[in-house]
Amino acid sequence: MGMRIKAKLKGDVVKVKAMAKHPMMTYDIAEKKTGSRDNANFITHWDGNVNGKVVFDASTSQFLSKNPIVKYEFKAAGFKKGDKLVMTWVDLKGKKKTGHAKIK
Amino acid sequence: MQRRNFLTLGAVAAATAVVAPALQAADERKAHPDAWTAKTVDDALKALYGKTLADAKEAHVTVKTPDVASNGGAVPVDMSCDVACESFTLLQDVNPESCVVVFDQNDVTIPKNSVKIKMKKSGSVYAVAKGKDGNLYYGKKTLEVALGGCEG
Repeated sequence: MGMRIKAKLKGDVVKVKAMAKHPMMTYDIAEKKTGSRDNANFITHWDGNVNGKVVFDASTSQFLSKNPIVKYEFKAAGFKKGDKLVMTWVDLKGKKKTGHAKIK
Repeated sequence: MQRRNFLTLGAVAAATAVVAPALQAADERKAHPDAWTAKTVDDALKALYGKTLADAKEAHVTVKTPDVASNGGAVPVDMSCDVACESFTLLQDVNPESCVVVFDQNDVTIPKNSVKIKMKKSGSVYAVAKGKDGNLYYGKKTLEVALGGCEG
């Protein structure tokens, strides 16, 4: 399970598109497919930071799509091309995954 | 490494550790656990912001989805808000629970997001922004879902 991130600086805004590879198994699907709601697993929190500054902060539920894609923007104040955007998600089972991209 | 340098490093590390929580992202699932089990839009908003849709103004927030979503497993939603806000939340009224995602805002984030969500059947999505002025603003979009997305 990984993450794909693209970050582009345009004018005074950085535009980001990120995709996480995650089944996003809801409680209902877990019950139907595995017989137990306990097998549900989905991303619960997803954040991004550049140079230690939080630029994206999302708390999520089971209703994001499978392999969720998110697009967001943040002000480029103090950031420049080549800076590293680091994104991390955590899922219900406590698994963490970090991905990164250079701002282009 | 000299002892003096080592101590300085330690002091810097300690200072960073103290500052760190302010830079840390907020986990709304821990901060407002009731919002994530709420079955209605109003209950979720009450848990998150202490207010309901009746207290919110239908202004400043735009939500876009297709009028008919062919696949309920991945309904594209574009949401944006044109006033400064602290928090920007997406909800819907057809799934077992209402809340889908909360985007916390700070001084560099822009309340403009696109996500793909699951929808069990036709219904409405709501984007609700808590403005820095303390007011709630929302936008709403009703759509048809051809094939429900919660069955897998």
